Amino acid sequence: MPEIILEHITHCYGDKEVLNDFTYSFEQGKTTCLIGPSGCGKTTVLRLIAGLETPSSGVIKIDGVKVSEKGSILIPPHQRQVGFVFQDLALWPHFSVYKNIAFALADKKDTNIKNKVFEWLELFGISDKAKKYPHQLSGGQKQMVAIARSLILQPKILLMDEPLANIDTHLKERLLLHLKDIQRQQQFTMLYVTHDHKEAMNTGDCLVVMNAGRIEADGSKEEVSLSSSEFVKSFLKS
Amino acid sequence: MGRAIVRHIISKVPSLLLFLLLGLPMIALLLQWLVNGDDKSALLSFIGRETLFLIGKSLLISGIVALLATFMGTVCGFILYKMRLAFTGFYKMALLLPLLISPYIFAVAWKDGLFWLFGNNAAFYSDSGVILVHTLVFFPLAMLIIGSALSRIDASYEEAGLMVIPFGKMLLKIVLPLIRSAITISFLLILIFSLSDFSVPAFFGVRTFTTEIFTQFSALYNFPLAIGQSILLLVICLLLMLAEARYLSDAPFFSVSVRGSMSKKYAFQKRQALFHALLWLLLIMALVLPVFMLGTQSLTGSILFFREAWILMGPAVLQSIKLALCGTLLITSVGLWSAYVKVRLNNWLPNVLLLLTFIVPSTVLGIALIRYYNLPVLNFIYGTALILLLAYLGKFGFIANRIIGNGMRQIPVSLEEAALIMGIPSWKIFVRINLPLLIPSLFAAFVLSFILSMGELGVTMLVYPPGTELMPVKTFTISANVPEALTSSMTLINLTVALVLITLFFLAGKWLFKKFQYA
Repeated sequence: MPEIILEHITHCYGDKEVLNDFTYSFEQGKTTCLIGPSGCGKTTVLRLIAGLETPSSGVIKIDGVKVSEKGSILIPPHQRQVGFVFQDLALWPHFSVYKNIAFALADKKDTNIKNKVFEWLELFGISDKAKKYPHQLSGGQKQMVAIARSLILQPKILLMDEPLANIDTHLKERLLLHLKDIQRQQQFTMLYVTHDHKEAMNTGDCLVVMNAGRIEADGSKEEVSLSSSEFVKSFLKS
Repeated sequence: MGRAIVRHIISKVPSLLLFLLLGLPMIALLLQWLVNGDDKSALLSFIGRETLFLIGKSLLISGIVALLATFMGTVCGFILYKMRLAFTGFYKMALLLPLLISPYIFAVAWKDGLFWLFGNNAAFYSDSGVILVHTLVFFPLAMLIIGSALSRIDASYEEAGLMVIPFGKMLLKIVLPLIRSAITISFLLILIFSLSDFSVPAFFGVRTFTTEIFTQFSALYNFPLAIGQSILLLVICLLLMLAEARYLSDAPFFSVSVRGSMSKKYAFQKRQALFHALLWLLLIMALVLPVFMLGTQSLTGSILFFREAWILMGPAVLQSIKLALCGTLLITSVGLWSAYVKVRLNNWLPNVLLLLTFIVPSTVLGIALIRYYNLPVLNFIYGTALILLLAYLGKFGFIANRIIGNGMRQIPVSLEEAALIMGIPSWKIFVRINLPLLIPSLFAAFVLSFILSMGELGVTMLVYPPGTELMPVKTFTISANVPEALTSSMTLINLTVALVLITLFFLAGKWLFKKFQYA
């Protein structure tokens, strides 16, 4: 059963239409990569699924439950069991690494916070950085903290908005492999936004190629690479 | 749904309250003047030849001040923010001090100094005296605005320019256009400040439009004329406000950044001595000389003057600090709320109200408050210190609003969204995420509002309730009837209190900024 369904979604920022009649079903437990040039609406898709934006028209369903519809958010972001890794990572600069990850648990009155946080820190190999502040970390370490923070509440869906854009290829590959391992264990659905088609080919089980708020091609890597769309051909060549 | 209602209440209810407290007095002033048909001649006389002459004169004086101060500020801004020079921290701090001290203190100091130097200061009681004091007091504002803009220019812009054109041309063709809006902002702000200031022209006996309104209102009790003139000044300021809408909304000097600068800095090793000399010359003129002059003039009397000055000023010192502190707490709270509703909830009404009362000359604001609150039912405001707190809020709320607002803009929305997704309640996001990140901005807004409230004279002179003794009012009102040495001693006490407080704030700020440096 498809886990996330977007039906005829249109979304505008002011007068500018960024998504135009976008319809797609994201499969459960799989990694779908959304690719396309800057400004094509990839991030907006993630923000709509997270409940951070209200669709101008259309319906969004998660696990068969309507979560957003035209002009209204029916289920607020925190009740959607979604983790979000932002493009700028959004690590709270005044909290230590430990606090950044523990903050959400503390609010849930979790009694086993310390163990849970260190479990995640160890999983990413950064338990020695627990007392450090974000500005004291390297780029890769920051990404790991952001991912750990988004996974600590064990979401069913992980939304990643180009979080690995500014790190070197070697570290990126290592992190992605690590993330795939975690995904296999935790069984969450992952939506991964990138403008790098090579990264998408390596990461995704399915690909969605977007252009100007519409889907140009979708399916498995093979299906997308065989697409007849001129845009897709030139995009994948670039 | 609940969250939306809460946001609506947070945004709308205090807006209405702020409108009733500060916006309505301004509108009431306008309506009072429009419906007052008893004295047609008085109503129309405000646009007579004399009035037009005074407006022209006031605009000319303020225009010259704004030009000179902006030019000096640009030069200092470049030296201090774009050059690798020793002791820049000291220069920045010392050159900013005149801005934080009431203009009339400088008027007293320079008057004393000229008397001490030449045995005669008659020439100073003229337009040139006002221009000199205002220029020296307001140029640090231009330095701060333009310096901030210069330090925000990405190094790569200048470096790319230097690859193809010489340094001088690069400054003209690349740097100058990039700071054009900052130059315009400083010019406009200084123009408004100089136009609004009542204390310096009044001290030097120079008739300007602002002093004229005060005289008509307080001395001649010609309320219709005073109100008519106030309306005219209000219109002039509203026109300047239109320019603000274009330039001032993101004024860089209202920002407190905790991030390091990426701007390019130049060494000019061979000209370092020249720049130091230039900065010292300004420092001597704007700070050292006035303080020295004030001290010397005080000592020409006897030590008894100091004793008498302290007896007179003692109660006023404590009361001034107490009231400024209460006013500042109100200003910072309103600034925080209004900044939040503007930046995050897109409610611009509080901003417009605070901007209106900020740019309106003190005398006009004072008259509006008096006319509005002078009712038996509102005596709990009019007859108490509450009217002063409202006056401080009207005068300086906008500054706090902009400092905090720009601080809030620097906080990425994603920090809040990350917490929102995790189910952290809105109030907790505000308290745990926004507030700690805003501490440097809140502190800057607090300090600036406090120092400015302590030295405010224009509106305070009009609205202070009976039994209230405040430092600036006390010194100003007493100066005409006591020996000059006593006035100087009182001013020196005033200045010392301000300097001690500024030093304390500076030390606290240093600690605070170090603690909250996250970049």
